[in-house]
Amino acid sequence: MEQNKEMTAQESLKLISETLNNSRRDILSKSAKYYVLWGSLLTVFSLVIYLLWHSTGKASWNLLWFAMPAFGYLFAWMLGKNDKALPESFVGSLTGKVWGIFGLFSITLSAIAVFIVPMPITFTIIILLGIAESITGVILKNWPIIVGGFLLGVGGAVAAILLKSEAQLLLFTLGGVILAATGLVVKYQYK
Amino acid sequence: MFPKLDPILHSELRLAVMSLLAGVDSADFTYLKKQTGATSGNLSVQIDKLTTAGYISVEKGFKGKMPCTTCMITPAGLAAFNEYVEALKAYLK
Repeated sequence: MEQNKEMTAQESLKLISETLNNSRRDILSKSAKYYVLWGSLLTVFSLVIYLLWHSTGKASWNLLWFAMPAFGYLFAWMLGKNDKALPESFVGSLTGKVWGIFGLFSITLSAIAVFIVPMPITFTIIILLGIAESITGVILKNWPIIVGGFLLGVGGAVAAILLKSEAQLLLFTLGGVILAATGLVVKYQYK
Repeated sequence: MFPKLDPILHSELRLAVMSLLAGVDSADFTYLKKQTGATSGNLSVQIDKLTTAGYISVEKGFKGKMPCTTCMITPAGLAAFNEYVEALKAYLK
């Protein structure tokens, strides 16, 4: 790129447009791997806990959920080590905050449900998951993610009422798949 | 009559740097260099010019043990950039 090249108005606008698009693509493709990571973890944890609960009949296997954030943040830290050269963006930090708040609500409510006041935790968290997913779609201006989040939240809430005990965990498996699929959509949309 | 184009921004490399910074909170020197394909020396000179004009601010620090220069667009820079884009549109009407 040259410093003193004479540019026409068209060339200048084209340069601005291309630069902004490239930057946006870099930032969004950076966030994609975190959706795949958390979606995969959610799928694996829900399936493992479901199988353990189903085979032993003990609901106490749900305590394994508290290990998921530890694994997730460790893997996220490892993945983030290669992001040093990428810029910080409003979109990236906003989606990060949305999922951070989802995690905070989910962990706190789960702890309260397990140790203090019993509550329909699958029903609650699946709605929170759907809302976080849809808000992410709004931020990324991506209709499939908005609709996916809505269907997950509303459909998951209805299913959480209809399904019993360990079968409810399969809703989180579905949620994990949708979350990972969100990451893949973002990755290929902005490739 | 066409509006006058800001000479600070009407340069390919400086405009690319401003376009990159307009879309993000901050970006480091390595990223700007990679995106623009400019040499370190040339990019440094243009960043100094944009800083002197008050269009961007620069923070020098470290990431781990490596020195890191982080650039951010200023409110004045964003206003100048928007004005420049509007001026360009007038040329195309």
